[in-house]
Amino acid sequence: MKVRRWILPIVLVASFLGIWELAAHLRWINPSLFAPPSAIVRDLLRLHTRRLPDYSVLLTHIGASLRRMFLAASIGTIAGVATGILMGASRIVSRFFDPIITILMPIPGIAQAPLFIVWLGFGDPTIVTIGAIATFFPIAFNTAAGVRSIDPQIVRAARIMGVSKTASLARIYLPSAAGHIMAGIKLGWARGWRTVIAVEFVAAASWGLGYMIWDASEYIRSGVVYGGILLLMLVYFAIERLLLETVERLTVRRWGMIRS
Amino acid sequence: MTQEIIQIDGVSKSFGKADRQVAALNEVSLAFRDGEFAVLIGPSGCGKSTLLYLIAGFESPTTGEIRLDGKKIQKPGPDRGFVFQDYALFPWKTVLGNVMFGLLRNGYSHRDAKTVAMEHIRMVHLQGFERAFPHTLSGGMKQRVGIARALAYNPKVLLMDEPFGALDAQTRKLMQQEMVSIWEATQKTVVFVTHSVIEAVYLADRVVVMTAHPGSVKGIIDVDVPRPRQYTEEHYLHIRQDVLALLEDEVAKSAKALA
Amino acid sequence: MMNRRIFTQDAAARWRTRFVAALQFVLPFLILGVLWELIVRTGVVSQTSLPPPSRIACKFWELCVGDHLLWRHLARSMYRLSIGYALAMGSGLLFGSLLAMNRILGDMFSPILSLLISVPTIAWVPVFLITMGLGDRTVIAAVFLGGFFAITYNTIRGIEMVDVSQVRAARTMGARGPKLFTAVLLPASSVSVLTGLRLGIGYSWRALVGGEMLSAMIQWGIGKMIYQARFWNDIVVMFVGLLVIGLTGFLLDRLLIRWLERVTVERWGMVTER
Repeated sequence: MKVRRWILPIVLVASFLGIWELAAHLRWINPSLFAPPSAIVRDLLRLHTRRLPDYSVLLTHIGASLRRMFLAASIGTIAGVATGILMGASRIVSRFFDPIITILMPIPGIAQAPLFIVWLGFGDPTIVTIGAIATFFPIAFNTAAGVRSIDPQIVRAARIMGVSKTASLARIYLPSAAGHIMAGIKLGWARGWRTVIAVEFVAAASWGLGYMIWDASEYIRSGVVYGGILLLMLVYFAIERLLLETVERLTVRRWGMIRS
Repeated sequence: MTQEIIQIDGVSKSFGKADRQVAALNEVSLAFRDGEFAVLIGPSGCGKSTLLYLIAGFESPTTGEIRLDGKKIQKPGPDRGFVFQDYALFPWKTVLGNVMFGLLRNGYSHRDAKTVAMEHIRMVHLQGFERAFPHTLSGGMKQRVGIARALAYNPKVLLMDEPFGALDAQTRKLMQQEMVSIWEATQKTVVFVTHSVIEAVYLADRVVVMTAHPGSVKGIIDVDVPRPRQYTEEHYLHIRQDVLALLEDEVAKSAKALA
Repeated sequence: MMNRRIFTQDAAARWRTRFVAALQFVLPFLILGVLWELIVRTGVVSQTSLPPPSRIACKFWELCVGDHLLWRHLARSMYRLSIGYALAMGSGLLFGSLLAMNRILGDMFSPILSLLISVPTIAWVPVFLITMGLGDRTVIAAVFLGGFFAITYNTIRGIEMVDVSQVRAARTMGARGPKLFTAVLLPASSVSVLTGLRLGIGYSWRALVGGEMLSAMIQWGIGKMIYQARFWNDIVVMFVGLLVIGLTGFLLDRLLIRWLERVTVERWGMVTER
C-alpha cells in the first residue's frame, strides 16, 4: 500500500522522539547528556533569538558555514571540471594524475587542518581551502570519467564539420560528459559541505555551524549539539533539493542525458 | 492411452492494478500427457511464457487452476524442473555445485548428490568441466548445465522457456538434437516454449499454437514423424506448413496491434 | 606436463604486468617529488613553509625505524579500526539483510537511513564525546558509524538487485526461506556487498583519523600524532602523518578489499563496480 510507505517511517520517528522525551523526563537517561527534543528546540530557539533584533546567532552560524561552502565548492568545481576535462582528453595527463588522486582523495579534511592552520591561520582561508580541495577530487574524477566515455563518433563528426580542437573541448566534451559531471558535482558539493563543517570543528575561531556544535560539546550543551546535527541534515537536504536538482533539471535532464 | 499429467483448466491471467489490468491469458484449457514432448508456440506477447510460469508456480492464475497429477499447483517445487532462457546458473558455484544444488535440497547426502550429479553431467556431455565456473563456459555449455541441473533431482515434468533462444544458429541446432536424445533417455514429460517453427516441429510430439495477446489455444497439431527427424523430409515439411499457417495470421494480428 | 608450463608462463606474465603497473603508479609521485625538492632547494619557497621531500623522508625513517613511534601510533589506530569495522561489518550485513527481506522494516527504516547517511560521521563525534567520554570508545564508535551506513545501504541494494531468474531457479529446486537466503540471495548480492565493504572501510578509516584528532584523552594514533604536531609547529611530522594516512587508506582498499574481491566475485566472473 502506498500510504504505508510514508506512514511507517513517520511512526518510527515519532515514537522514537516520544520515547526519548519521556525517558529524559523520567530521568531514565541523563537529560544534560541526552537533551530531549523539547530541550533541543528550546536551545535552538534561544540561540536564534538571543541577539535579536541585531542579528540571530543561529542564522549567523549557518550563514557563515554556507558562505564558506559556496566559496569552496565554486573554486573546487571550476578547478575540478577543468582538470577533469584535461584528464579525460589526454591519456598522459590522466596517467599522471590518477595515482595522485587515488592517494590524496581519501585524506580527510580535518587531518589537513593542522597543516593549513600553520600556513593560513584559523578561520576562513583554511576552511575554504580545505573545502575546495575536498570538492575538487570527486568532480575531477567524475568529469574525467565522463569525458572518457564520450562517443568518439560525435567528436569525429564535429571535427569534420570544422570545430577546432580547443573549441571542441568546451562545445563537445563538456555537454557530452554533462551527466557524469553532474554526478560528480553532487558528490563533490556533499563532500565540500561535510568537510567545511568538520574543519570548522578545529579551525573556526568564532562562527560556523561546525564551530557551534563543537563549542557546545565542550560545554556539554547537548541540546545545541543534537540541534546542530539536525540543522546539518536539513541545510544540506535543502541545498541538494533546491539548488543542485534545479540545475540538473534545467541542464542535463533537459538534454535527455539522465533519465528523470 | 497415456494419462494426463498436467491439466490446465479454464486459466486466465491478468497483470496490473485494479483499473489498469492487462490480460495475458484468456481461458486456456489444455492437458499434457505423461511422457510427451509438448511445444507451446505463438507470436510475441501471446502469453506462452506466462503459461509456463503458471505451471511452474512462479505466478498464480487469476481464474482457473492447473493440476499436476491431480494436485493443484500453488508454488514452485521440485516436481517441476525449469530451464531458463538466460540459464540462471549460480555464478558462485561450479558446474558440479550447480547440478548438486537441487539434490542437496531434496534430501540427498553429499556423496549421493555428487554421484547423481556426475551422471547427469556426463549425460549432457560435460564431463571434465565439473570444476569450472559458469562464466568460463559458452552459451551452449551453460544451457547444458541448466538442463542437467533441472533434471538431476528427477522432477516429474521439465519446463523449458525458450532455452535455446540466446544461442547462435549452429549451437542451437546441436542443442535441439541433444535435447531429443536426453528426452529419449530420461522419458520425461517436457513442456517447451519457443517461437521457432522449425524448432517446434523438430522436437515436439504435439505443437500447441497460441493466439495473439491475450493468449488462448488456437490449435494443436500432432507431429507423428518418427525420430530422429530430418529437417527436409516431406511429411515433416507438411506439418511445418500447417503450423506456420496457424501461426501466420496470429503474428499478423499482433503486428497490427502494435502498428 | 604441457599445462604446467603454460601455467608458469602465465604466472610470470602476470607478475610482470603487475610490476609494470606498480611502476606506472609510483612514477607521478617520483616526478612530483623531484619537482618539489627543486622548488624548495632553489629557494622559490622557503623551507620552513614547505619542507622538501628529503626531510620528510628522513623524518619518516626516524619515526619508523629510529624510535618506532610511527608503529606505535599506527598500531593503536589499527586496533581501533579493526574493532569498529568488524562491528560495522557484522551489524551492517545483518541489518541490511533484514531491511531487504522484510518489506515492513524496509519501508520503515530506509528513508531514515538515507537521511542519516547525509550527516558526516565527524558530526556525531561531539555526541560521542559527550556521552562516551574522550577516549578509545568514542573513536571506535566513529569508526563503526562510518562503515555501518555504507555497508547496510549496499547490502540492501545488493539483495534487491539479485537476478530474479536465479531466485526462481532455486525455488523450483526446493529452496525456501532462510536456506534460500543463505544459499542464493547472499552470494548473489556479493558485488554490491563488496562495494559496501570497500566504501565502508574508506569511511571508517577517515572517521578514525577525525575521531582521534578530536578525542583529547587518547595519546596514540595517527590522527593524534598529526594533531599533537601542531603544538610544536612541526610541519614535517604533519606531512609524514598525511602521507601515512593516504597510503594506509590506499593499502586497506587495495590489499584487503581487492584480495577479497579476487577470491570471490572475480573468481566467479561477477562484474565489479569501480
